[in-house]
Amino acid sequence: MQVDLKLDEEQRQIVAMVRELAQERIAPFAAEWDEREEFPWPVVEAYREAGLFALAFPETYGGVGASAVTQVLVVEELAKVDATAAIILAVQWLGALPILVAGSEAQKARYLPKLASGEWLAAMALTEPEAGSDVAGLQARAVRVDGGYRLTGQKKFISHGAIADVLTTFARTGGPGAKGLSAFIVEKGAPGVRVGRIERKLGLRASNTAEILFDDCFVPERHRIGEEGEGFSIAMRTLDRSRPAVAAQALGIAEGAFAAALQYAQERRAFGQEIARFQAIQFMLADMAMGIEAARGLVYRAAHLVEEEGRGGGRLTTANRYSAMAKCFASDVAMQVTIDAVQILGGYGYIRDFPVERFMRDAKITQIYEGTNQIQRIIIARSYLDLAPGP
Amino acid sequence: MHVVVCIKQILDPEIPPREFQVDPQTKRAVRGRASLVISPFDLNALEVAVQLKERAGGRVTVVSLGGEETPEALRRALAMGADEAVWIRDGALEATDASGTARCLAAAIAKLDEPDLVLFGRQAGDWDQGLVGPMVAEALGWPLVTNVFQTRGENSPLELLQQAEGGYRVVAATLPAAATITNHEANVARLPKVREIMLANRKPITQWSLGDLGLAADEVAPRVVVEALAVPVPEGHCTFIEGETAQEKAQNLARALRELKVI
Repeated sequence: MQVDLKLDEEQRQIVAMVRELAQERIAPFAAEWDEREEFPWPVVEAYREAGLFALAFPETYGGVGASAVTQVLVVEELAKVDATAAIILAVQWLGALPILVAGSEAQKARYLPKLASGEWLAAMALTEPEAGSDVAGLQARAVRVDGGYRLTGQKKFISHGAIADVLTTFARTGGPGAKGLSAFIVEKGAPGVRVGRIERKLGLRASNTAEILFDDCFVPERHRIGEEGEGFSIAMRTLDRSRPAVAAQALGIAEGAFAAALQYAQERRAFGQEIARFQAIQFMLADMAMGIEAARGLVYRAAHLVEEEGRGGGRLTTANRYSAMAKCFASDVAMQVTIDAVQILGGYGYIRDFPVERFMRDAKITQIYEGTNQIQRIIIARSYLDLAPGP
Repeated sequence: MHVVVCIKQILDPEIPPREFQVDPQTKRAVRGRASLVISPFDLNALEVAVQLKERAGGRVTVVSLGGEETPEALRRALAMGADEAVWIRDGALEATDASGTARCLAAAIAKLDEPDLVLFGRQAGDWDQGLVGPMVAEALGWPLVTNVFQTRGENSPLELLQQAEGGYRVVAATLPAAATITNHEANVARLPKVREIMLANRKPITQWSLGDLGLAADEVAPRVVVEALAVPVPEGHCTFIEGETAQEKAQNLARALRELKVI
């Protein structure tokens, strides 16, 4: 398979614009947003103005239909300065994906244009207190009533849960296991939906992570996505497509930390010379750079495969192996690189005046969300083994 | 209203100083890892032009003279709101200077469809000479207003807001006219939108050679010879100013500064 890592003219221009936007409107404020654990609405405003939300949406629905590779390039570029800002795009696209892959024409027409412009924010509410990676074990219930369903249950760790205008969520309409799940759209302010606890986190502190409580929440039938019982499949088809963006976030965090370490190593002097002249530092820099370049190869390749295989709304096979590899590898690299960057900056790495401290805290979540790295390894292994496809 | 903006692509002036090097042989800056960008004041000029178009209607044409990477700058200008782009491209222009550049630009502007206003950045972010704008105005025989930051009105005479000591001056310019643009909060260059970037790749870039402009190679040969080019090396010294009292120290400091001819 051929992968051309050379960006085309359009991609380079978009990345250049995003770099400027990140430098002007995100980088100077990221530390303060993190400190205050305050959702960065100015970033949403900047994305609306620049039209960034539109990247992942088709032109028919107000998007620009950019390729999956362009999408990951943008997320990567943003994550170089702020992982929280980067994930705002990824969460929007994740929340919209169930509608994109399985929504009706009416649902697409109602939601996608407003999500593409960023006028509305979306979130995907999948995880529950007792079920995250094990999607088939979800417990929230949707009971059929006249004209629709009554949803009851608890969703946990929902990115943008408290600020989203549109939630795509999953609940049980049938028996236990994967076949009993269905997917739904719940609009903000629907009676019976309530925001619970807002989580306080190790990293991504400015990002909004909330508990969502459904208490006998009426969802009209026209807000069911796909058929009854199709929920598990829709969740999988969504996650098949969303992993490269999280992988790109991890890659960007690693690059941001590496750039900071590289600069510091050439400025900081000890024993009469720049610390970059010491092999101990050089070896760390070399390992960081190798990890980043290898991760980059995997992330772009995964995005390329998602693009190729992902047209239409079906499940992906080949792409999944590489998305899992990209997400798992890039996030492990991000963790190691940010730890090393803190080490190179020494005491300055540990304090909040330099961004590497934040990068290290932010990196950890990339090994956990969007399927833990243990789950990713299972997906990778199973893609080589002749076993039934897993989660 | 047809507004023409002349832009120059330069090495990114924001690179760290330790990465900036010049080649003493060719007497040019070394590209190194620096990216190429539109010269900062030219971006202000583009912004002024696009604002004028949004207010008065019409179109914006962007013109640049340069090497193989020029289209990148032109595409950026198109994404910011320019409608058409002209790339003056000729091997004979490799070594040209401000006067040669001005001749080419004047010829190109004369060839365009009746421009009303031509804008330049106040000076390029690399050589900082500020020559090209005035030279083009002279060659075209058009009035020139320098250090403009904004325009008002929709027709000739157009009001040009010119930076002045402690404020600004309003100059009414009969069109066609030329202006050099300085930076101001009113003309901070907009970031192009994703959609505009994508559309910009579908807008035309016209290429003109010296022949197309009716110019011969010797007409654009450089007239200025750069004798030497070097990055200044800052040197630091430390002198302790002695004295028993504050007054004596101050007097000694004043004397030392006078000897150094800094006061």
